[in-house]
Amino acid sequence: MKDLKHLIFFEDLLLEANNKLIQQARQEGKICVAYTCENTPEPLLNLEGTFSARLRAPRTGSIDVATYYLTSFLCEYSRALLERAIEGGFNFADCIVTPDGCSMMNRCVENMELLHTMGKDNDRFFFEYMEIPMKSDDNGLNLYKLQCENHILKPLKEHYGIDVSDAAIRKAVAEHNRVCELIRAIGEFRKGPQPRITGYEFCVFNLATYVAPHYLLVDMLEETLEELKTREPDEKSPFRARVVVVGSEVDDTDFIKLIEESGAYVCADRYCYGSLPGRDPIVLTDDEDALTQICRQYMQRGQCPRYMNTEKMLGRRQYVADLAKEYGADGIIYQQMKFCDPWAYEKMLGSHILREDYGYPVLAVDRPYAIAGSGQMRTRVQAFVESIEIKKIQGGASNG
Amino acid sequence: MSKPLKIVLKILGILFLLFTGTFIIYFFNLDMKLTSMIEPFLLKHYDNIPRNRHL
Amino acid sequence: MAKEIGADRLGDFYVAGSKVRNRREWRGVQDTLYDYSRWLKIMMTLGKFMMKPRNVKAFFRYRWMANYLAVPMMVDRHTQGLRGEYLRMCHTEQDLIIDDVAKLLDNLFRGDRRIGNDTEFSKKVVLVDENEMTAVMMGFPMLKCLSRETPSTYVSVLLNQHAAEHYIDVAQEFGLAGDVCPMPEAEAGVSIDDDAPVLGACAIQCNTTCDGSLLGNGVISKRLELEDGVPVFQLAAPLRHREDDVQEYAAQEIRNAIAFVEKHTGVKWDWKEYFECAKRVNYATKCRQEWLDMNRTDYPQVFGSNLALYTETNYMAICGRVADFEKADRKLSKLAQQAYKKKMRAAKEYRHRAIVWGVQSHFYMDFLVWLLNCWGIVPLTDMLSMVSTKMIAEEDTPENREQAYYDMAWLTENMIMRNRTHGGYRVLLDELWQFTEEFNADMVILWEHICCKALDGMHGLFEDRARDLGINLVWVQHDLFDPRIINRQGVRDQINNYMRTVMREEPIDPSLEILPDEESW
Repeated sequence: MKDLKHLIFFEDLLLEANNKLIQQARQEGKICVAYTCENTPEPLLNLEGTFSARLRAPRTGSIDVATYYLTSFLCEYSRALLERAIEGGFNFADCIVTPDGCSMMNRCVENMELLHTMGKDNDRFFFEYMEIPMKSDDNGLNLYKLQCENHILKPLKEHYGIDVSDAAIRKAVAEHNRVCELIRAIGEFRKGPQPRITGYEFCVFNLATYVAPHYLLVDMLEETLEELKTREPDEKSPFRARVVVVGSEVDDTDFIKLIEESGAYVCADRYCYGSLPGRDPIVLTDDEDALTQICRQYMQRGQCPRYMNTEKMLGRRQYVADLAKEYGADGIIYQQMKFCDPWAYEKMLGSHILREDYGYPVLAVDRPYAIAGSGQMRTRVQAFVESIEIKKIQGGASNG
Repeated sequence: MSKPLKIVLKILGILFLLFTGTFIIYFFNLDMKLTSMIEPFLLKHYDNIPRNRHL
Repeated sequence: MAKEIGADRLGDFYVAGSKVRNRREWRGVQDTLYDYSRWLKIMMTLGKFMMKPRNVKAFFRYRWMANYLAVPMMVDRHTQGLRGEYLRMCHTEQDLIIDDVAKLLDNLFRGDRRIGNDTEFSKKVVLVDENEMTAVMMGFPMLKCLSRETPSTYVSVLLNQHAAEHYIDVAQEFGLAGDVCPMPEAEAGVSIDDDAPVLGACAIQCNTTCDGSLLGNGVISKRLELEDGVPVFQLAAPLRHREDDVQEYAAQEIRNAIAFVEKHTGVKWDWKEYFECAKRVNYATKCRQEWLDMNRTDYPQVFGSNLALYTETNYMAICGRVADFEKADRKLSKLAQQAYKKKMRAAKEYRHRAIVWGVQSHFYMDFLVWLLNCWGIVPLTDMLSMVSTKMIAEEDTPENREQAYYDMAWLTENMIMRNRTHGGYRVLLDELWQFTEEFNADMVILWEHICCKALDGMHGLFEDRARDLGINLVWVQHDLFDPRIINRQGVRDQINNYMRTVMREEPIDPSLEILPDEESW
């Protein structure tokens, strides 16, 4: 297929945590709100005068220093972030907001704080730790709202004079939704037998929206969407199967590239930093304050395994099944970052349920943070693709 | 010797034997030695119980 | 064989390749007869339990019941080297716990659909997690609050170090990663292996202790709720428990949990009973504080596993609901005061005063008495005993009834262990050094449960701070329930190496340095 005009620019953005758009926004006087978890409502970090940056550590090499602090038993994502912070790689942040979502992420940020890795020359810098609900119910909603008020809005107002009014929040939601709509529209081109965008390309565009200021990306995303409307798909698809990738955070586009180079087209991205449901627009009405509505939607659509009420647990697997159907997937890859506790359990349950109850072929893998050269992973995915092909042939033969 | 006295002595004798016997078991850890010999047979038994094993 | 403390070479009781020891200790006539009498009582408790045909049936049905063959040995391990008041304290606690667990088992099997199948009884049963404060049941005297995980995994591993291995393997066979905490992993394994009793009107699961518990509950509830038809309420206890802005959430969860139990059992909450339990909770807190105050002096009395195991049981599992534990508290305090007045010591030599921090090696709880006997390290207190010191409302008034929800929420959030491993770095890291100072400790034994990410995540900062403060910090790594990863000798060697190389000391009892207990219960 013809190269997308802005792909290289977006790829370059992802090579650095402190990418050029973050630098530009800061030069324009905007406050960078760093965060680490999808349970932090993004629009609240993108008010007038602020922009959000979900932390990642591209081109991570050694994580020895972070391993000393966190030990080798914590997930590599948390260690990579801490290593980068210790190196000074996150000094572009003006504050950091983290939920006490998983123990590892919490300890990672606490270490960042106690080792004074960020905000050295900024006496307005703050670290905030939120409680987030573990169940999707009224009590959880009340908590979520209070926590957002106390640990996001209030500190932004007190430290940086940010307007946190309902009107300001609504404006932020509108801008957030614009990006979501663009990403979802671009994502629609993954459907059908001849997709016009590869999973890798989509991952690049989508990931950039988490790590660079939205307002500097919107124009390029609009152009990309226009390009895709007329992009000619390859005559013969290089892919032999379509898969949904589910699981813990994926901020390394090389992982998606590896899967696709192994023959499986990534048609849907149900992982942290993914677009499903991370790029679902937030629908606001006028009969209730915006903050409550944002919290409710984040809570209800959240697919994080720490949501523990029965409806949510069942809902997560149903959601994956629904995505597989909607995107025409032949199989599902459940992946987890090595040493991720929440996804260790969710991967076990999800892969069994999607296989036994929903009849999908499932590959369950765990992986390191940086995966580019992994021969083992390539072999696993290749074998999985072959098994899907065999299943299709056998299914065709029995029907024929 | 009167009958009640004989009965009392008999009871004391039995209690003494019981005490000695149980004390020997206690001191030489015979109770644990016995149960530790039983354990392997029990484990084999548990392995053979049909189970409805699933998530 | 001798009456005096420390006269025996305690390591000589171990036999290579054997599960059990060659004999019990001679502690002098009085203490030996006392220990013998307690052994007889345990035997009678076990005998009484096995007299019931349903319990025999359960014994042959549930793999984890085999571990109960080792009950007397568990007591022997914890009383090793003890004399006088210390021996009596240990027995007061252990015998009561054994009694309580026997009742728990009896009740479980009575209601179990596979065993006793007493359906009317089962309608009055509320299942709770092992890793859950039972505060929410304080006002339900007519209901039976039973935990399946406590006897199947938690107590089992105390009895037999190898108890959880089978269930860990089962969970991993089904695809669970091996690096997760083996406690919820084993609990999930019991459920997967179809080895859990099935009973109850409803169940309350809680996200305590940690992520692992939260997620492991999902595996268990899938079967319990969706197949066995036992409705489950997930009780959310906020992680950031020291913050004011989570307390309303926590209290509302308690209200919701109580409403759930009322709905599914038809039994109403009893405030009178609640406040009776609250008084016992406060009394237990008061006693624990007294013991800890004594431990700050040169003559600590209630320490080691006498403190740790008992606190875990009384604070968490009992939570004021059983009057016998109040009597035990009283007796323990009396024994402690007696020994304190006489300036007694539990071992031949006290060389070091230690705070034991971190998550204990559950398969080797008697490590604490080993520290004392082998190296003269006095474990003054441990992280699991540094629980809530707050006095809760105990008088029945309308204001206190409202306050009670917050008190129950507070207790639930401040569950054993998680009150330190979660809630921010202050409760785990900063407060350790405060305690070290308060207890005049020269050493910290830091249990590093390698799969506890909340704890591991502070490793480097513990090191840095200990170095800055000049405190001897001894890391003792383990994997909680799985001795195959680091076995008991591996645990001991971490202390042995530190004491020899850094402290340049010789053991008080060299026979304890290397023990052939790999096969042992």
